[in-house]
Amino acid sequence: MISAYILITMLPGKTDKAIKEMRQLDNVAKISIIAGEYDIVIRAQVKNLEELLNVTDQIQMIEGVTKTTTQIIEKEISLQ
Amino acid sequence: MIIRKKYLFYLLAITSSVIAAAVTGIDSFVGSLPVFKTDPWAFAFSLFFVGVIITLLITLILSIKIKGESLGAKILDPSFKQIRIVQKNEMKYHLIAGLVNAINTVGYCAIISTVQDPSVILSFSQIVILYLLLMESITEKDVPTLVEVQSSVIVTFGAILASISLTGEFQLFPIIIVFLVVNPTWAIFSIYQRKLKIMKIHNRPNDSINIRFWNVFFSCLFTALLLLIYDIFTSGNHLITGFVTSLDPYYFLLLVLTMGTTFFSYVLYIRSLGLGKASVNNAIRASTIIFAIPFSILLIQLGVITEFSTDPVMLIIKVIGLVLIVMGIISFALTVVKSYIFITVKPGTPIKETMLKLWDIRGVSHVSVTSGKYDFIVKVSTRTLLKGYERIIRKIEEIETIKKYHWESVLKDWEKI
Repeated sequence: MISAYILITMLPGKTDKAIKEMRQLDNVAKISIIAGEYDIVIRAQVKNLEELLNVTDQIQMIEGVTKTTTQIIEKEISLQ
Repeated sequence: MIIRKKYLFYLLAITSSVIAAAVTGIDSFVGSLPVFKTDPWAFAFSLFFVGVIITLLITLILSIKIKGESLGAKILDPSFKQIRIVQKNEMKYHLIAGLVNAINTVGYCAIISTVQDPSVILSFSQIVILYLLLMESITEKDVPTLVEVQSSVIVTFGAILASISLTGEFQLFPIIIVFLVVNPTWAIFSIYQRKLKIMKIHNRPNDSINIRFWNVFFSCLFTALLLLIYDIFTSGNHLITGFVTSLDPYYFLLLVLTMGTTFFSYVLYIRSLGLGKASVNNAIRASTIIFAIPFSILLIQLGVITEFSTDPVMLIIKVIGLVLIVMGIISFALTVVKSYIFITVKPGTPIKETMLKLWDIRGVSHVSVTSGKYDFIVKVSTRTLLKGYERIIRKIEEIETIKKYHWESVLKDWEKI
């Protein structure tokens, strides 16, 4: 299983509608709206890189998404 | 389906509380039966003995695959695949949780046999939050904040007030058992169940269904062992009484009902333990007292417990207690600030060393080493932004290998159920 963070920059005023569409996507484990350089952080969980490509493709097709930055997780320590 | 993580956490904890209230109602009825009323030891063993059988059966049913996914994963816990053997790295936690659960259940059965009103019994147990706050400050990577302490005290006092009024009585024996046996063991039990839930098994999050099954199994073993030792030293026959009573069809079905229902309450509780701290979970579980009222009324109708007082002063005290519990829970819910920190390190620096330094910072819940624009993405939870600055940013700035970082606060988040 591959996990990745997808950092998304949005056009102003499009976030709510985009979030609704993102919640329908497969392989999306978490979605956070954040304040700062990025507008949304998505945590994707996929079986292979091909699936990751599909997820990022689907995100980029959503209206209002202007840029995505994908960070693949190589190692992780977490409480949950 | 993706819902807000906060809602998922509260949904799990509150649903677990509703089921727990029903279980306490059933337990009160079973505990009032003559054979168990006089022998809480036998009652505890019977619960676990029948519990192992029914829990195994439910776990096997939940292991049935439907379209490549187990039934348990579809309806209870997405991490569940099928029933499995305990792994070496989780054995220690299962043994401790099993032992304290065995002691806790004997204490609980002793109270059930003395006090039949579930809303009174449940109220006493809410004081466990104070024990948990103290233990978490020692064992977890987070110390309680003023808000957590305040909320816990509010919930605790609410629970005490709510416990006095229904029958108008205040009995000393159950309180001593609660303070010396039930609460300390429940606090340890919650912490070790949480440790198990946040473990990774075969690179997957540990599932609450297997955790529950093995907990009942080890609790049964320890209860049998404790009873055996007790019987030898006192020349008693609690173990045999418990075993023989369990085989009686009437008692067996009643025990199946209580332990089958308990299974679902615990699975949801363990899942919610994986999402939030044990103290916060138990604060929410204090709402069980509210949900226990309908069951108390039902038990009055059935003649299991005596009618409660309708004295206006008692009723006002009860309402104040319930309001305090709700206020405490809401204040817990509204005071968490979560953030992401995106970090770039200086070239040629050891990643593992930096990772461990980041992990050692209090309030850090995830440290991910990533490939791409950033070297680390760190997720943090604090009660206030000021605390985030003082406790986290200052510590990050002390790590020499970090070249650049930026902090982005989470405004709202969702998580897949």
